[in-house]
Amino acid sequence: MAEIQFSGVEKDILQELMNIGFGQAAADLAQVIDLSIELSVPDIQLFKASELREHIGTEADSDQEFSLVEQYFLGKFKGIALLVFPAKAGKKLVSLFGLQDQSNKPSQHLELLEKEVMMEVGNILIGACVGKITELLNDVVIYSPPRVMIQDVRNSALPRNLFDPSSMAISMKTVFHFEQQEISGQLFLIANQESITWLKSALHAFMEQYQ
Amino acid sequence: MITLLIVDDSPIARQILKKCLPKESAFSIIEAADGQEALDKYRQYHPEITFMDMTMPVMDGFQAIAEIKQVDPQAIIIAATADVQKKARQRIIELGALMQLAKPVSPKAVRDALAKAEQALREQL
Repeated sequence: MAEIQFSGVEKDILQELMNIGFGQAAADLAQVIDLSIELSVPDIQLFKASELREHIGTEADSDQEFSLVEQYFLGKFKGIALLVFPAKAGKKLVSLFGLQDQSNKPSQHLELLEKEVMMEVGNILIGACVGKITELLNDVVIYSPPRVMIQDVRNSALPRNLFDPSSMAISMKTVFHFEQQEISGQLFLIANQESITWLKSALHAFMEQYQ
Repeated sequence: MITLLIVDDSPIARQILKKCLPKESAFSIIEAADGQEALDKYRQYHPEITFMDMTMPVMDGFQAIAEIKQVDPQAIIIAATADVQKKARQRIIELGALMQLAKPVSPKAVRDALAKAEQALREQL
């Protein structure tokens, strides 16, 4: 099956929708932690899902570890959302949630706390972002519960054949600048060819109202 | 004819805004893709009303509003942004913007914003 290409205009529309989606996501997260979040200009890329590991690798910090929140979404647009943070982001997020007073607890407890915070942050960001984009495209999605993984890039548990060979990944990279901390994050939306075909058509339908 | 400056790094967002302008009114439209270009074009064209995105490369909308307000304290600026956080909204108003529109903008929101901006223009006379 031929690989689907996005035109420049389609990428621009998608970028604007993801920008709006991330704006909503930041607002939802800011409400939870009661801090304002400054967003950087998002960078969007599209590539084959089989190349995902290489793209995640470029976002990891020097110790090659990162935290990954995975959540499935299902609607006319369906796929997997992966939110990737450098591993150190977990501790920063725990601190932003005002949970640093737990630091005298055993490290196992801290790890669990980090996972719970990552899961909550992932749920908020993915839900708001994917939800807003699909709402603008007249779709409704449901979500699986989020799952958190701490990965090693070199021995990643993400096998190359995890996705349908025709699946594409949409990557959106942004930096969340909190009042006290800077945390970079990258959102990947993985969708199969059928879903990407629907997305392209929905992007055009969205813009038709402004023609 | 009212001169509008539309500032957004996204050509799609600029197109959406232009299409939401009331059809019965005539506007002279100038566009800019970042805050610095907006500042340069503001100095050059002195638009009556500016629509300003906030998250942009080179110079963001927050700085651009502050700089334009230094050039012209009476500048009428409407923020059109995806950043819908409460604190961002407060900051935008503190910088002197007239109001804020959440993206994606709608024809009704743009019409209402223009009515408010035109009222502010009349009050300046």
